[in-house]
Amino acid sequence: MIARVAYAFREMWASFRRNLTLTVAAILTSAIALLLVGATFLIQRAFDNLLVQWRGDVEMIVFVRSDATPEQISLIDQTIKAAPTIIDVDKLRYLDKTQSYEEAKRIFVGDPVTLSLLTPDNIPSQFKVVPITQDPELVRSLSEQYRSLPGVQDVALAEDEFQVISTLSRFVRTVTLVMSLVLLVVAVGLIWNTIRTAMFARRREIEVMKLVGATNWFIRVPFMLEGLLHGLLGGIASCGGLWVLNSAWTNGVAGFKPGTGISSLVVPSGYLTGVMLLILAIGALVGAVGSAIAASRFLDV
Amino acid sequence: MIRLENVTKRYGTETVAVRDASFDIAKGDFVFLVGPSGSGKSTLLRLINRQEQPERGDVWVAGQNVNEMAESRVPYLRRNMGNVFQDYKLLPNKTVFENVAFALEVIGKPRHVINRQVPVVLELVGLAGKEDRFPEQLSGGEQQRVSIARAFVNRPLIMLADEPTGNLDPATGEGIMALLEEINRTGTTVVMATHDHRVVNAMRKRVIQLDRGVIVRDQERGVYE
Repeated sequence: MIARVAYAFREMWASFRRNLTLTVAAILTSAIALLLVGATFLIQRAFDNLLVQWRGDVEMIVFVRSDATPEQISLIDQTIKAAPTIIDVDKLRYLDKTQSYEEAKRIFVGDPVTLSLLTPDNIPSQFKVVPITQDPELVRSLSEQYRSLPGVQDVALAEDEFQVISTLSRFVRTVTLVMSLVLLVVAVGLIWNTIRTAMFARRREIEVMKLVGATNWFIRVPFMLEGLLHGLLGGIASCGGLWVLNSAWTNGVAGFKPGTGISSLVVPSGYLTGVMLLILAIGALVGAVGSAIAASRFLDV
Repeated sequence: MIRLENVTKRYGTETVAVRDASFDIAKGDFVFLVGPSGSGKSTLLRLINRQEQPERGDVWVAGQNVNEMAESRVPYLRRNMGNVFQDYKLLPNKTVFENVAFALEVIGKPRHVINRQVPVVLELVGLAGKEDRFPEQLSGGEQQRVSIARAFVNRPLIMLADEPTGNLDPATGEGIMALLEEINRTGTTVVMATHDHRVVNAMRKRVIQLDRGVIVRDQERGVYE
């Protein structure tokens, strides 16, 4: 058993070094593809910070003063519910101070100064309003009405604040996702071709192996390991790239004026670690798939 | 040990390589398959080690139906067979020892078994002392001995030889034949395809003659004609 494992790794390493040019190309391609995959996740997560308060078709947020009385809050609630033809009453949500504070932690993740000024006591609670009507003017006129209610601090409309970012986010997500998928396919193809070349170079050996009764798995495994290594190395390289990019971005964003929204566009380091692990897994998978196809397809050389 | 029942094999739709071939080879037999190039000798050998599958008929080896065997069992079938070829099929970047050891290595034999069996079989084929040579440093006869050592190192039940003397001069060929006879005496069944009259006539073994894929003669202690 140990002899077999040792054999597989020895053969993998020998073959890995033999085709250096192709190997480097395969690794670089998978690294770039995986970098894009990772970037997609990070960009998406960063935008999510900005969009978190508008999630679920929320078009209007009524911020309630932190010192509002329960009577005032209940009056606001009833006023909103009084327009069921315009407002989707079932989807109306009230976030109390604690919930609002949790949300604020995400919105101000890159803006610690602002966040430090907020506490679960002084933060406004909020009503998240989902309209039924398609007419933005109707929603706008309602917002004017709510603004004059006692206890209301402010009313924010998605149209004014985040429509652009939401559209931008969707566009960026689509573009990066498509590009990374295309590049992943290219990476599989390049790994496939590298393994095929490696097998072709050793077709005599494979022929002898088959004739003396080596199992197909015995022949296949070193080649599959080689492809796996390509994918993993690509993954490691892209993790490094991702870390550098993210650090540079986070540092750059920290210099922005607080409250512009840009400072929300950062991700927590725990999330970055998760994405890196995911990238390594995808890399290994891409390598294994590419080489497995090649190894099965060309075993009859 | 080996039985063919009404075996027909075609390449494409036109070329009939073997037509309705039947024979029975007992354990320990030494059999020549003779006939001109293209008469189907090599195809018969390839049917026996399942490099090919017949269109009709059955091939039995050591009590197993080779054609109905699952793909995953084929490697284990082949571990019972040694293969020797006209062009030796040695690996040029490996030494004599490594070439022979390779056959054991790839079927998962541990190192200590390899280190014990390879020198024994190299001694048997008369290559003791040449373990560290590379194939290109050997004569044709010596290269064929390496390939026989590789085929025999796992002590197979059957030895399949396809024109093993085809590239060798008569004297060297005789040496190879003496070696195959010695291997046959250990109880290994030997099936050898050849069109070398001299070899067949000198040995007086069973002869199966083929003509355009059809068995035209099956004779004990035969000659080439």
